[in-house]
Amino acid sequence: MMVTNYIGCFVLIVLGLYCMVVKHNLIKIMMGMGLVDYGVNLLLVTVGFHYGGTAPIFNIAELTRASFFVDPIPQALTLTSVVIGACTTAMSLALGIKLKEQYGTLDTRKIRRLNG
Amino acid sequence: MSAFINNFPVLAVMTLFVGGFLNSLVGRRHAVLQKIVVLVAVTGALAMMLALVKPVLVDGEIITYWLGNWEPVEGWAIGIALEVDALSLFFGLIVVVAVFVSGVYSFTYMSRDDSLVNYYTLFMMLGGSVLGLVLSGDLFNIFVMVEIMTFTAVALTAFRSHYEGALEGAMKYLVVGSLGSTFLLVGIAILYSQLHTLNLAQIAALLPEQSDNPLAGVAFAFLFIGFASKAFLFPFQPLAADAHAVAPASISLMISGVLTKCGVYGIIRLCYILYQNMDLAVVQYLVTGFGAVTMFICVTMAFQQHNFKRLLAFHSISQVGYVITAVGLGSALGVSAGLYHAMNHTIFKGLLFLTAGAVQHQTGSLDLDGLGGLSKKMPSTTALFLIGAASISGLPPFNGFASKWMIYQATFQKGVETNNFFFIIVCVLALLTSVLTLASFIKVTQSVFFGQLPEKYKDVKEVPLLMRVPMWILAVLCIVTGLFPTQVQNWLLLPATNAVFSAASYIDAAMGEGYAALHNIVSSGVTSLGVSTCWSPLSWLALLFCVTCAVTIVALLGGPDNKEDSHVSTADENAEELDPKYEPFFSGEESVYSQVGGSDLFWGFKHSWRKYFTFWTNWHSGVVNDYTLYGVVVTAFVLLACIIVL
Repeated sequence: MMVTNYIGCFVLIVLGLYCMVVKHNLIKIMMGMGLVDYGVNLLLVTVGFHYGGTAPIFNIAELTRASFFVDPIPQALTLTSVVIGACTTAMSLALGIKLKEQYGTLDTRKIRRLNG
Repeated sequence: MSAFINNFPVLAVMTLFVGGFLNSLVGRRHAVLQKIVVLVAVTGALAMMLALVKPVLVDGEIITYWLGNWEPVEGWAIGIALEVDALSLFFGLIVVVAVFVSGVYSFTYMSRDDSLVNYYTLFMMLGGSVLGLVLSGDLFNIFVMVEIMTFTAVALTAFRSHYEGALEGAMKYLVVGSLGSTFLLVGIAILYSQLHTLNLAQIAALLPEQSDNPLAGVAFAFLFIGFASKAFLFPFQPLAADAHAVAPASISLMISGVLTKCGVYGIIRLCYILYQNMDLAVVQYLVTGFGAVTMFICVTMAFQQHNFKRLLAFHSISQVGYVITAVGLGSALGVSAGLYHAMNHTIFKGLLFLTAGAVQHQTGSLDLDGLGGLSKKMPSTTALFLIGAASISGLPPFNGFASKWMIYQATFQKGVETNNFFFIIVCVLALLTSVLTLASFIKVTQSVFFGQLPEKYKDVKEVPLLMRVPMWILAVLCIVTGLFPTQVQNWLLLPATNAVFSAASYIDAAMGEGYAALHNIVSSGVTSLGVSTCWSPLSWLALLFCVTCAVTIVALLGGPDNKEDSHVSTADENAEELDPKYEPFFSGEESVYSQVGGSDLFWGFKHSWRKYFTFWTNWHSGVVNDYTLYGVVVTAFVLLACIIVL
């Protein structure tokens, strides 16, 4: 079960990197960035997951040594990371719109006035 | 009093953030109020960091602040901490000084742009995030700050979106920069899976026990690449070049002076405090190798540039390469040399970017081939630029000389001690890079400030006083830190270097006394830097003066003979025949505008190295996919190296 998760996030990250390296359309590159983000989020959640653990919601009084729950910190991290991922997408799309206006294309091979 | 001073780290970070948001609330209507808010916030942050100098740098305390007062329970850090040791404060001081100077400079420099509210809000968030990063004691907090930093820097790069290439530079920075941040997060996730904590001090205590765990090595590789991408080390340097060339000058100062320092800080923290693996030869090769490659490639790329700020950007990354080279040596002298150069880099590079901004502000151009002769119109800016150029090229008595001297000494000493050919090559590369830097700045000086003044810049005026004041502040800092290196070493570098080498006290300050000893972490600290005593910038200045005099005398003695010869020959010949109009092969009108173009000054050197230059020019292709590919390939390489060796 957990191995599947790790394989899944590895595949997601590699697919995303492949998109970013090979695809020349800016929108596809943004999709690649999204895929890498999702892969890392999956990795974070998987790291904190304990098989058979309950939700990490306790009073101080209820909390004992015997209570077995999934690690809440990676979930908090994932939440933050998801928000950051959304910002990345929004920002890159905004830049994409402006670039399309200025350059008339989203092909990265043509958006290369700054080189050398 | 001392209890209240413990709140200063968090207050300084909050001042900048709150100032940023307050600015977007009140600044939209009142332009004056907007500037007051910015000024108060940056001055406040500066004052608070200065107030921390006495307890942290002089008395050697480590200030720990637990947000929400969540202190560690049973040896587990459950809250988020801000931990300020001398290393953090050293970088914190660099950050607040740079933010202050850049903020004051912006008041006039940005006055012709619209939507300034957005500019200042983003600017303050950038400053706040970087300050938060260097003061933070929590790994995930560092990641969040890195992301805020990257996004605000991207937005500010694209701020003048009507500039050619501004959006393009921002887009590349965003794509490849977010790749670096992602690697950072992967490293954090792997580290958390092994140690179940995010607190830097606790990680530092637990990690050395994991030295045979391959996943710790993987996490090291990812974290290292993440920070390296933020310092724009090879192969991430094209991003910096693109972003600098199009960003406003005040933001270029922030990117080169402050953002790259985050990467440097991260690498120091990672190698010396968290992993404490800097005594391994492999890590030394890795870090020093990255630094040396960056240093050399960037300085040669700078030769190819025709844009003022793009050229400065390559030099900026080249100097960061110096810092990383010195830091990677693993010796106390190396670390202090690296820290010294990091500080100096912010000062002189900031000064150079601001002068470039002044030229751009007054002439509207950054084209090295089109500018010229501005020294007559902008004497003050020229003087400031020369100070900056002399500093970055390492001429005595400016600060670049002092820190570069320490770097040469550190690399040479390392080479002698280990009898290793690698460090000898690095030492030679460092010297060579410095020479090339000087050559490159001669070219800039010639093509921008001297030579003939083009007709269209006849009415150019000196920049306003409010723009010159920040530049003079930096110029004075350049001279002061260069003239009194011993004082800088004793007051700033020694405490910071000591903090780098005393991981145990860093751990104990956060986790409680004896926690480090519990995990068998012993660190001795550093009491002296081991700089050779015969080193004095003034004597070097005297030497330089003597050499200059000697060269001048020789040149003058040889001069008149040639002149007479040529005079005699002109008298003999018919004047008409000498007129180039009538020469058989070179006939035609004499060119009226005869300035040596900046790009032609070193044509011989460039011609004989043309294969090398062509290769690297093609390498910086400008296609974002290529840059991503380089990043991924180098990450894979570092990952392999770390898995095999660590």
